[in-house]
Amino acid sequence: MGARVLLLSALFTCHSMVALDGPCQAQEPTTVPQETPVSSATDSSKQAAAQGAPGPETDKKDEKTHHKIHVQLGLVSFGLGYTHFAGPYYYPYPYFYPYGATYSAVFCDPFWCTYPSVFSPAYSGSLLYAEDKGEVRLTAEPKTAEVYIDGAYAGKADRLKTIWLDSGAYDLSVSAKGRVAFHQRIYVLSRRSLRISAKLEPEKGPDALRQEREAKP
Amino acid sequence: MNGKTLLGLAFVTTASLAAGPRGTMPKAAANRYPVHAEKAGVSVGAALLTSDEARKAFVSEVNRCCVVVEVALYPVKDKLQIVSLDDFSVRVTGSETAVKPSSAKVVAASIQKSAESQRDITVSPSVGVGYESGPYGGHGTYREVGVAVGVSEPGSHSGSSDRDRDTMQTELSEKGLPEGTASAAVAGYLYFSLTKKKNATLQLEYVLNGEKIVLTLP
Repeated sequence: MGARVLLLSALFTCHSMVALDGPCQAQEPTTVPQETPVSSATDSSKQAAAQGAPGPETDKKDEKTHHKIHVQLGLVSFGLGYTHFAGPYYYPYPYFYPYGATYSAVFCDPFWCTYPSVFSPAYSGSLLYAEDKGEVRLTAEPKTAEVYIDGAYAGKADRLKTIWLDSGAYDLSVSAKGRVAFHQRIYVLSRRSLRISAKLEPEKGPDALRQEREAKP
Repeated sequence: MNGKTLLGLAFVTTASLAAGPRGTMPKAAANRYPVHAEKAGVSVGAALLTSDEARKAFVSEVNRCCVVVEVALYPVKDKLQIVSLDDFSVRVTGSETAVKPSSAKVVAASIQKSAESQRDITVSPSVGVGYESGPYGGHGTYREVGVAVGVSEPGSHSGSSDRDRDTMQTELSEKGLPEGTASAAVAGYLYFSLTKKKNATLQLEYVLNGEKIVLTLP
């Protein structure tokens, strides 16, 4: 194996290693730290408070638990690298080398690799991560509540902590037996994160309703 | 106006409101808003949203282009009130020109244009340690460090795609002040394409039945 080939190999090794780590941190969609205290809100404007704008604050707690691979496509990267090789080679080491590349959507960014489908941002699942989708982070109480998006059943709340949706407006409903249903109009934009907290209050029984009616003048 | 006409008008209004803007929930009374006025029994309340409030109220980054004013109208009981965006305008105090509210479509397009020009810069450090061997010269270990600075392509920012624009238009439209005829209180946002300078005060002007109401927004 020639020294050039070896160097190239080293370069690729390095890139693929960091591609799993560095870009994940850089591209993790950010969220506004405070949660929206919505109990049974229908006012769609409230959800905007929880929509995260890209910024310096990241949800570190979630990063630890999810370990998702997020890569951003279409970057132009330029940099400087340093390689030191300790071995019986004929070429002098260490030396500096500059590198630069233009990446298209075909490649994972910012390094030259095409990941297997499980890591691919083009992973095609309707509620799974994709570059052009927005993230909805849902917290529901009780956790077994059923989640509906535009009237269609999406799953249990505890299994749907993170939902990736195409950009658009949706009617989100969370319901559980014996609880007052939660409805909210949500607006999802690509590459943005929306945090929703749905605490379903217990439904008032017939006795409580009768008492309430009697208490009214 | 006879009963049939009223009924027909109410039906058309209801039908158009169901498909269009929904506005916001009006407060209990006009005096719950920072500025309010009353004329001929019709009350109007208004609130200028700060950048922070606009960020919380909207997913769309409406701050990029516009000043947002929440307006609520309280018609006289059992009397229909025509609500039209053309009746509203905002003027910088002391200025001669007034700005009419922009449509959701125009505002969404403006935000998209602004998002398209925005670029993200990311710095990605890289570190590698490895071992290589081959027939050329022998074998050994290597250590490698590097740093890459990435600049995203224009158009990769949130809000820059056509689909995002449609979503923003939907949001702005649904939260906007509903136009039509109202018999009960209505409220919603108005978007004015102007940038507010610090310390500059704005005046919201509303033409009610030919008479002008001026509200100075704090």
